Amino acid sequence: MSQGEAPSVVRNGPLWRLAVRRWRRRPLQYLLCILGIALGVAMLVSIDLASGSAQRAFALSTDAITGRTTHRLVAIGPGGVPDSTFVELRRRFPEIPAAPVIEAYGRAEELDGELLRLVGVDLFSEAPFRGLLGGDGDGQGGRGKQGGRGFVPFLTEPGTAVIAADTAARFGLHPGAADASGTLHLDLAGRTSALRLVGSVSSDSALERRGLETLLLVDIATAQDLLAPAGAAAAPALGHIDLILEGPAQEQAIRTWLPAGLKLETAAARGNAVQQMTAAFELNLTAMSLLAMVVGIFLIYNTVTFSVVQRRSLFGVLRCLGVTRRQLFTLILGEAALFSLVGSLLGLALGVVLGRTVVGLITQTINDFYFVVSVRQISLSGFTLAKGMAVGVASALVASALPAWEAMATPPQMTLQRSSLEAGWQRLLPWFLPAAALTGGLGVLLLRWDSRDLVPAFAGLFALLMGAALLMPPVLAAAMTVLGRAGGGLGVVARLAPRDILRSLSRTAVAVAALMVAVSVIVGLSIMIGSFRGTVVTWLDQTLQADLFVSPPSTTANRVLGKVDPAIVQSVAARPDLRAMVTFNSFDVRLVDQDRDITLIAAGGDISAGRRPYAWVRPGIDDPFAALAAREGVILSEAVYLRDGQGAIPEQVRLETPDGERSFPVVAVFYDYSSDRGSVLMDRSQVAELWHDDNVASLGLFLAPGVEPEAVAADLREGFRSRQSLLVQTNGALRQGSLEIFDRTFAITGALQLLTVLVAFIGIFSTLMSLQLERGREFAVLRASGMTPFQLGRLTLLATGLMGLLAGTCSMPLGYGLAWVLVHVINVRSFGWTLQIALEPRFFVQSLLVAVGAAVLAGLYPALRLGRMNISEALRQE
Amino acid sequence: MPEHLPTAAIELRGLGKRFQEGETERVVLASVDLTIAPGQFVVLLGQSGSGKSTLLHLIGGIDTPSSGSVRIGGVDLTAIDERSRTLFRRDHIGFIFQFFNLIPTLSVLENVTLPGELAGRPRSALEAAARDLLGRVGLADRAATRPDRLSGGQQQRVAIARALLHEPLLILADEPTGNLDEHTGEQVLQLLIDLTRQQGRTLIMATHNGAIADRADRVLRVQEGHLLETSSPAAAVAA
Repeated sequence: MSQGEAPSVVRNGPLWRLAVRRWRRRPLQYLLCILGIALGVAMLVSIDLASGSAQRAFALSTDAITGRTTHRLVAIGPGGVPDSTFVELRRRFPEIPAAPVIEAYGRAEELDGELLRLVGVDLFSEAPFRGLLGGDGDGQGGRGKQGGRGFVPFLTEPGTAVIAADTAARFGLHPGAADASGTLHLDLAGRTSALRLVGSVSSDSALERRGLETLLLVDIATAQDLLAPAGAAAAPALGHIDLILEGPAQEQAIRTWLPAGLKLETAAARGNAVQQMTAAFELNLTAMSLLAMVVGIFLIYNTVTFSVVQRRSLFGVLRCLGVTRRQLFTLILGEAALFSLVGSLLGLALGVVLGRTVVGLITQTINDFYFVVSVRQISLSGFTLAKGMAVGVASALVASALPAWEAMATPPQMTLQRSSLEAGWQRLLPWFLPAAALTGGLGVLLLRWDSRDLVPAFAGLFALLMGAALLMPPVLAAAMTVLGRAGGGLGVVARLAPRDILRSLSRTAVAVAALMVAVSVIVGLSIMIGSFRGTVVTWLDQTLQADLFVSPPSTTANRVLGKVDPAIVQSVAARPDLRAMVTFNSFDVRLVDQDRDITLIAAGGDISAGRRPYAWVRPGIDDPFAALAAREGVILSEAVYLRDGQGAIPEQVRLETPDGERSFPVVAVFYDYSSDRGSVLMDRSQVAELWHDDNVASLGLFLAPGVEPEAVAADLREGFRSRQSLLVQTNGALRQGSLEIFDRTFAITGALQLLTVLVAFIGIFSTLMSLQLERGREFAVLRASGMTPFQLGRLTLLATGLMGLLAGTCSMPLGYGLAWVLVHVINVRSFGWTLQIALEPRFFVQSLLVAVGAAVLAGLYPALRLGRMNISEALRQE
Repeated sequence: MPEHLPTAAIELRGLGKRFQEGETERVVLASVDLTIAPGQFVVLLGQSGSGKSTLLHLIGGIDTPSSGSVRIGGVDLTAIDERSRTLFRRDHIGFIFQFFNLIPTLSVLENVTLPGELAGRPRSALEAAARDLLGRVGLADRAATRPDRLSGGQQQRVAIARALLHEPLLILADEPTGNLDEHTGEQVLQLLIDLTRQQGRTLIMATHNGAIADRADRVLRVQEGHLLETSSPAAAVAA
C-alpha cells in the first residue's frame, strides 16, 4: 500500500452469512459436535462439583464450628483432653479465650436417618468464638443477636439440644414444643438417646446456614453423657479446646505450658489434612472425566475438519474473490469458538444436573473411606464452572487450529480440490510413526519418573494414549490395504468397504482412534477393577477367619467410630460357646517422619488366625502376630510407605505417643485394602500402655465346634439391646457387605466409562454422517448402477464394523497397558495398594463387542438414510 | 418381471414431474407421452434446466414421477417397489454421466464389472467380458489403474464400458461429452454410438450439442415441460 492510500476495508459479514446458511443446511453435524463438547464438559464439571460440594459441605460445617478459633489443643491419642486441663488453662491464661468442644456423628430417626454432626459446647465460653447460641429468647436464635432466655434450658437441663432452623423446618420439628415434634432420638454408635430441642440457630448468610444444616448443638456435659460408655468410671474428657491466640508470644506460652499427652495445632491444619486425604481420590475422578474431554477433542477435530473439507471449493472461490487467509482462519476458529461456547454452556447445565446425580455416589465413597460428611445440595462453584467453560472452548480451539491453518495455508487452486487433504494425509503417514514413538516415549519417561506426584503419572498415561492414537492412521491404512487386497476374491461390497475407509483416512482414522481410546479405557478399567476385586476377595477370604464380628453400628465403611461397651466385651468373652475372641480398636496416630496421620490398630489377637498373607516378613520371624504379642515391633500396611513414594520397607516407624515420639521396629508388612492412608498393627496391651486407651471398637468371635453362628448372632443382638444396639455380622455377611462397598465405590467409574464411550459413539456417528454427506454422489452412482438399498446398507455397516473391529482389537493391548499403569503406578501412588493383575477373557470380548457394537450402531442410521436417498438429487450434487 | 426383454419398447404415458420450491410449485415435466422402439438412438435437446436430465432419471427409475407411468418391455417402473426397480436397472439399464462418476476406490476393471458383480454374476466371466470391452474402448492396458489416474476422455470411455458390460436394453447418457474437449468428445461419442448400434441397444442421450442430432434416429426437444418431436435433426438444431 502506498503512502496516503486509504487502508483496505475487510468485512467479514458476508462470510458469516455463508456460515450461518451452512449451519442451517447441516444442523445435525453441528448439533453432534455441540453434544460432544457438552458431554465432555458436563463430565468434568459434574465430578468437580460433586467432589467440591462434599469438600465444601465439610468445610462449611467445620467453619461454623471453628468460628474465630486460631488454634486448638488436642489430645495425642484417642482419650481426649481431660476436663481438668480446661480448668487449669483458664486459671493459668485468663486472658486467652478458650472453649471446650466435643464432636461426634450420629443419626436421628426424625431426620430420616440423615447424618448429624453432634457438637458439644460450653455456652459460657462460646461468645468470642462462634456466637451461634446468642438466642433472643424465643427459641429462634441467630448470629449477632443477644439474649438467652430460650437457652436457659440448654444450660440447666441435661438432654437438651439446639438444631439448625432450616433443618427443623424441613423435617417438621418444632424446637421448644412439648410434643413429639420437639424431641429428637439420636443414635450414637448404637446407643439411642432422646434429646429435647430447646432452640434453633440460623444466620443471615446463606453459606453459613448451609454450614449449620447438619449441626446439632448440645451442652458439653450432655455430650459427655451421650458419648461416655454406660457405667464408665473414667474421668470425663473433652474432644479438644478451641483457642484464640494473639501473636507468637501467646502461642509460645501455651506450648511451654502444654501438659503431656496434648499438642497445639492451628485451626487450618485440620481442614488441610482433610483435603489431603481425598486429593488422590478426586484427582483420579478428574483424570477420568478429562479422558472424556480428550475423546471429545477428537470429535471436535473431526467436525471442524469435515466442515473445512466440505467447503474447500467454496473457500477456493472465496480466496479467488479476495478473501484473505486471515479471514478464513478467523471464520473457522470463530465458528469453533461459537459452537464450543454453546456446547460448553450446555455442558455446564448438564454438569450441574449430572453433579446432583453423582454427588451421592462420591459422598458415599468419601464417607466410606475418608471423613464423615452429609451433602444436601451441590455447591455451584464459579471456579468450577469457569474451568469447565475454559476447557470446553480451549479444546475446541486447539482441535480446530489444524484444519483452520490447513484451509488458510492452502493456495486457492488447491483449496478447490477435495482430494488434497487426503493426499496430504497420505504424505504424512510415515511421520505418524515417529510422532507416536516420541509421544509414547515421553509417556513412558513420565511414568518412570521417580515422583510421588500423581500429575506426572496421569500426564504419562495421557501421553501413552495419545501415542497410541497417533499410531492409528498408519495402522488403519495398513490394515485396510491388506484387507482390501485380501478381499480381492470376495464380492464388490467386501472390497469397497476397506477402500472407502482408506480413502477418507483423515476422518476415519480420527474416529477409530477416538473409539479405540474410549474402549481401551473400558478394557483398562475393567482389568483394574476386576483385578482389584479379585485381590480383595482373596484378601477377605484369608484375613477374615472369625465366625462373627461384633461392633457398634457405624456411619463409615472402613472404621468403627463408636466403642463396644466394656461390660459387653467382658460378658461376651465369658461365653462358653466361644473358642476364642479377638478385639480391635483403631484411632489416628501421627507418623512422625512423614508428618501425616495413619491408623493405629490395637489388635487383641489375630482375626485371620494365622492365615493372613504378608507382603514381607522380617527374616527370622515365623509368626508376625506372635512377634506383635511379644512386643518385638509392629506390622505395617503397604500404604504407610508406598503412598509416600518410598520403595523400600522402613526398618522402623516413629509414632507420636502422649509421652513423646517412639520408634517401633517393623516386623512385617500386610495387605490392607480397607484404607489408603496406611495402618499400623500393634498389640492391644502395648497400645493401652502407650496411648492410655483400652477401648474396643469391634470383636471377632471364633465359635466352638458345632455352634450355629446365626443363633449366637441373634442372641448377642437381643442380649444387649437395652445397653447398646450392636451390629453382629456373620463371616459371610461381612464379606458380602465389604464387596458391596467395593462395588459401590466403583459405580461412578462405571458411569464415567459409559459416558466416555457415548462421546466416542457420537464421534463415530458424526464421522459416518459427514462421510455420507461428502460421498452422496458416489453412493448415488452405486445405486444407479444397481446397488440395492440392502447392499448399500451392508457396505456402510461393513465399513463401520471394520472400523469398530480395528478399534476394539487395538484397544485390547492399549487397555492392558492402561491397566498396568493404573495398577502399578497410579494405584500405588494414589492409595498405596499393590494388586495382582488378573486377566479374564471377558474383559477383551466385552471391549470388542462394545467397539463393534458402538460402530455398527452408529452406522445404522446413516445406512437407513442411504437406503432412502434420492438418487436423482444426489447425482445432481457437485 | 421378465428375465429377458428382447423387444423392450419404452412407453411414457402422462409422465409428469413437479417440484415444490417454497410456496410455489415448479413444473419440470407437464405430461409427457412417448414411445421409443427398441434399438433406436434418441437425442433429447433442450436448454439447461429444461428437464432433460429429469426425464432420463425418470426413465431410468432413479427418480419417481409426480404423475404418469414409465414402461420398459412391459414392466411399469412406477408400479414396482424400490428394490425391484433397482434390480431392473441393474439388469437392463446402463447409465453414462457428464462427470463420469467412476467409483474412485475401484480399479478401471472393477468399475466396469460393478453392475454385474452387484447382480452376483461369476467374476471370471465378467472380467473376461470387461477386458474385451476395455479393449474395444482402447483401454486394455489400463485395467488395473485407478480412475483418478486417467484423463477425462479415458474416464468416460470406462463409463461407457461399464454401461454396456451387462448388455442392457437401454442406455441413458446424460451430457456424455459435456465435460470433454471437442476432439475427445467426438471420439467418445462415436465410440458410444458405434457400440450401441453394434449391440442393437436403445440409446437415449440428453445433450446441448445440436450437432449430435444429425446422427440420431429421433430428436426430441424438452421445452417448458413438454416433449416436442422435431421433424428432422436440422429442424431440431434450428429450434
